[in-house]
Amino acid sequence: MTTAIDVRSVHRSFGRTPVLHDLSFQVPEHSILGLLGRNGAGKTTIMSIIAGQDRPTSGEVLVGGHTPFEHAPTLNTIRYIRDSQRYPDDYHLRHVLRIGPVFAPHWNAELADALVDGFALPARVQVKKYSRGQLSALGIVLGLASRTPITLLDEPYLGLDVGARRVFYDALLRDYAEHPRTVVLSTHLVQESESLFDRVVILDGGRVVASGDRDEVVGGLVQLSGTTGAVGELIAGFDVLRTDKVGGLCSALVRTDNDLAAAAHRLGVQVSGASLQDLVASYGPGSRTTEEVAARPARSPPPGCT
Amino acid sequence: MTFAVPLYITGVVAVISILIMVLFLRAGQTPGSADWIQGARSNGGMVWSLCGFLGYMGAQSVATTFPFALTLGATRRHFVLGTVFWWATTAGYLAAIFTALCALELATGHWFADLYIFDVYLLGSGSLWRIALIVFGGTLSIFSLGGVFAASWVRFRNRGPMALGAGLVLLILVALIITVPSFGRIVDAFQGWWLMVAAAAVIACSSVGTWGFLRGSSVR
Amino acid sequence: MLDGKGPIFAQIADRIADDVVAGTYPEHGPIPSINEFSVFFRTAPMTVGKAITQLVDQGVLYKKRGIGMFVAEGAPALLRARRADGLRSEYIAPLLREAALIGVDLPTLHQLIDQEASS
Repeated sequence: MTTAIDVRSVHRSFGRTPVLHDLSFQVPEHSILGLLGRNGAGKTTIMSIIAGQDRPTSGEVLVGGHTPFEHAPTLNTIRYIRDSQRYPDDYHLRHVLRIGPVFAPHWNAELADALVDGFALPARVQVKKYSRGQLSALGIVLGLASRTPITLLDEPYLGLDVGARRVFYDALLRDYAEHPRTVVLSTHLVQESESLFDRVVILDGGRVVASGDRDEVVGGLVQLSGTTGAVGELIAGFDVLRTDKVGGLCSALVRTDNDLAAAAHRLGVQVSGASLQDLVASYGPGSRTTEEVAARPARSPPPGCT
Repeated sequence: MTFAVPLYITGVVAVISILIMVLFLRAGQTPGSADWIQGARSNGGMVWSLCGFLGYMGAQSVATTFPFALTLGATRRHFVLGTVFWWATTAGYLAAIFTALCALELATGHWFADLYIFDVYLLGSGSLWRIALIVFGGTLSIFSLGGVFAASWVRFRNRGPMALGAGLVLLILVALIITVPSFGRIVDAFQGWWLMVAAAAVIACSSVGTWGFLRGSSVR
Repeated sequence: MLDGKGPIFAQIADRIADDVVAGTYPEHGPIPSINEFSVFFRTAPMTVGKAITQLVDQGVLYKKRGIGMFVAEGAPALLRARRADGLRSEYIAPLLREAALIGVDLPTLHQLIDQEASS
């Protein structure tokens, strides 16, 4: 499988504030990658660097084997739409539809028109006066109709209602099926779109905490809940990702290949499957301290339920 | 759009000029008299008022277009080259229109009514090659100044234009302090081409500055 | 559509297998393409591909080069037999656990099953 995007030990600081710490991951060609994590995890920063709109403080990013920054042939293969994408002051919808094809040799006008209809984008309103949802929709039009080999969409669903999100999912999958490309979607709304991704990268505090095939990342995750003592006994020795304690009760997200059903039944602990959403949420604020989060990739002492 | 705006600007210039002349007329001046011509030709207000708008166009062509150009996959280098080219094209177009209208003004005996719109001191007092050079050089200078200020904003946000403006004021003050003792001689020796050299320097410095700021800036 | 618990490809394989058992796709009949499934399940084509590969490995589907995927002969029977094994671990065991938790004894449980079957 060819690697489309190769992120190698990327650090990025703004002034004295470090934003990305030693980020490394690969995105294979022709895959749909979910770039997940809470706000401030570094999703936008790494996308900007991949798109050649920013440079890492150290480390490097290769897109199709080249550093994208100021490399015209590489930049031509990338379309990166920001969540707060800016357009020239006097732009209307027609200007976007006219300039899009100039910079995208594989531009598909039918797809653009279908999306404009699907999102009911107004032609007479200046783009800078668009609502949050309309701005997201316009970004999706520009991002998908360009049909560039690399498509990066930062929080593409902001402000979109259920119907508009469905228009997006359908258009993305239909067009992707006919014209495979490498798609990176960042979002903090994991639940609805998680079946969309075949690969995921989860960021937390500027670090990669999970990366790989979506099913492998989620595989073996179970959510356990019961009394603190029982759950504590059950999870001893397992890879514990998160624990939450309320009163004498405890719930834990663990990764295991063992069948815990029998033991759980004996201890009176409930077992349920865990989703990508549960995994992403496990990196949220919780009982762990920052040091523990930093130590997580090394899988050092799991937070217990004791 | 790009080419309609300069036409619109020219129209505004003409209307303002005519209104100013009407003001003179109401003030009791006689059209065609030496005083009238002197007054009308000194009228540079509308030329200055244009500068603000051209400066905005120059700034806008960088500030909001830069992030969008990068989104479309343009390199910073191509963006700066393209923008400078667009400035030059627009300036040339504006110069052509002003020159043509000035020629028309001269041919019609100042619009059959002693209206001095393009035949003014600031635009070369009716010399066609001068008006062409002045409008082209002036417009390009203002565009590039607007552009470099916008580029400094893209690079350093609010601190950029503030520092750049302060730097320019400082530079001008220092230049004045140095030249003030010999000011009289300099004014006596003044040649029209000095302005052209100054404009060329402003355009070159601003364009290089725009490139310098944008080369290292990231979009946010 | 898919609940996101556990591997997506396994859920899709189960859904396609359900339809094979139910006769939606008859033996030797074609099934929809990967791209059609991708849009229908709102999931990446690669994930659907994995599900199909699994079903091919299990002998449920077979591939006709250049035409598409078809249901293998005997696939419904195969799936039924395999699922009968799962009946105990996936349904009966949890049923007994739940019954024990809420204090329903075995005779009562038998009675409930008979009632449900005859209703």
